[in-house]
Amino acid sequence: MRNRRAFLVIAVCALATAPIAAQAAEPSPQPSPTAAAPPVQLVVALGLRDPALDAGVVRGSEVLLARGYEAELARILARRLGAHVDRFVALRPALRLMAGAPSGWHLALAGIEPSRAARGAAVLSDPYLTTDAAVVLRRHLPRPRSVADLRGHLLCALRGSEEARTIATAVRPASAPLLSRSVDRLREQLRTGACDAALVPAIQAGRFVRGHGSELGPVAGRFPSGRGLVVAVARGSGLDVHAVNAALTRLRNDGTLGRLARTWLGLDPAALRTLR
Amino acid sequence: MRVPHARRRSRRRERELRPVRRVRLAIPAVVGACALLVAAPALGATDVRRGQVWFLRDGEPVAVSRTAPAMPGLLRALLAGPTRAERAKRLRSAIPAGTDVRTLTIARRVATVDLGSRFAVGRDEASLTARVGQLVRTLRSVPGVVGVRIRVEGGVPVGLFPGYDLRRTVRAPLASQSAPTFRDTQQLLADLGFMAQTGVTGRPGDETTVAVLAFEKWRGMARDGVLSAGVLKALAHATRPEPVRHAPGKRVELLLDRQLALAIVNDRVERVFHISSGAGGRTPSGSFRVYRKERLSWSVPFSVWMPWASYFTGGIAFHEYGYVPAYPASHGCVRMMARDAPLMYAFATTGTPVDVLRGTA
Repeated sequence: MRNRRAFLVIAVCALATAPIAAQAAEPSPQPSPTAAAPPVQLVVALGLRDPALDAGVVRGSEVLLARGYEAELARILARRLGAHVDRFVALRPALRLMAGAPSGWHLALAGIEPSRAARGAAVLSDPYLTTDAAVVLRRHLPRPRSVADLRGHLLCALRGSEEARTIATAVRPASAPLLSRSVDRLREQLRTGACDAALVPAIQAGRFVRGHGSELGPVAGRFPSGRGLVVAVARGSGLDVHAVNAALTRLRNDGTLGRLARTWLGLDPAALRTLR
Repeated sequence: MRVPHARRRSRRRERELRPVRRVRLAIPAVVGACALLVAAPALGATDVRRGQVWFLRDGEPVAVSRTAPAMPGLLRALLAGPTRAERAKRLRSAIPAGTDVRTLTIARRVATVDLGSRFAVGRDEASLTARVGQLVRTLRSVPGVVGVRIRVEGGVPVGLFPGYDLRRTVRAPLASQSAPTFRDTQQLLADLGFMAQTGVTGRPGDETTVAVLAFEKWRGMARDGVLSAGVLKALAHATRPEPVRHAPGKRVELLLDRQLALAIVNDRVERVFHISSGAGGRTPSGSFRVYRKERLSWSVPFSVWMPWASYFTGGIAFHEYGYVPAYPASHGCVRMMARDAPLMYAFATTGTPVDVLRGTA
């Protein structure tokens, strides 16, 4: 009899506490991407792949002290959308998390290039930053006016990089290019004249020449690839990608994107002359 | 009272065994004390009477002595920055004033320090890198500490401090830029065109000496072939030699004042060769072309073999010779090292222009 009563009490207690336990077991409330009205407080995902694009302190999934081109752009973009960045979260590695269905963020500025996988996971904006290859010359080398002017020179790039591929496919130089193991080695080869011109990502060209201005030549131009980094807008986040595109266009036209690029990347890749 | 015989025997035995027990008890105690003594410096439990705190002078790390109680004391001394007297000696700290320590722990000989957000303030890459270097050097100077983990506001800094991956334990600060290895220096000489890539071996040898000599000649330095501090400094900022004249195609420039020969293709200096030309101005200046080549040439007037000879005017040729000093020493020909002469022979094909120039410095 006593046992049956005790069992009854335990069962009642268990039933009473079940909803509370279930509530506790649920994940912490994510930003509600299902809201119909545009959110005012945005959660922005960063890639943390390139220190100039975004850097910070990762605590759990949160990014504290976020800085860099993309972090700054996210803040400005949020303001233009009538919202503000509530917090930054880490998206690493970007592609894997992009494939996950529930995002937990509204916008992702994580060095995302348009791909089928990215398009499947989120709505992608227009590019905000070009990923073309830039040409950095050695000292005393005359500026090339076209791709043909580069063919007679000894070119160099990082081994296995997109730029090495650009040399092979777009430039097709007379002599085989030098392929370096590291950025430092590449810079050394250019400084010493072991090669005449180096192809580096336009995003990195400013940092490549920074502090070596007297030893290297100018950044002479870029090869237009039509590719760029885009903002990923989470589906059902309540944000309209057209509004994001319109805001990016305004930022480009009023010079904000150029200023951000010069501040964080050392130069504005979009302002470089295109070589054809 | 009379004690029974068995009891007496037991007491005697107990008295005999007492020192043995004492020793048995003492052994673990001594071992324990030794272990504590070994571990104590790493744990920061005992005072580090004299420790090293690292600051910067002209961007280079400099250690100063501090009498500080253990590791927390050293860390506090580091964050406090140089004293007024040290500042007068141009010592500086890259760590922002007001940086606070949240926690400092040590486990498995790795110190983990959690700092306030001020540690990451600023965008100057050199300063951000230097402050991590200061912190790592200071904590690594504590006996027993083999690595440092840096946290900021309880999180892992990613990309904030250029050159350091703080997701991992930092075992050593970044190497100073001013100390290239011998192999690095050889690579630099090869990149600049003063020696062949095959000469980059990491080992000293006559090829490196000749390359240094050629570099010294180009820069107008003392011609001794010694890799001195002055040469290293000049190499660090050197760029590839430029031709004196500009013309398309393949050609050779012979710089009599510098005692160098430049192999040039389309205005790009491919190689710089150490040579010795005619003493007393016996090598004529002017523009010539290679007109005759002999794998092994016999000099009739001087009765000597001249391997790898490329004649460019009269009986004047580039050729191999056993002795190539740093000054003009020949009867008019251009002496070259045994390693370089075949390269010049292959480069200067018949008809290749040769510009012999005086006064190019």
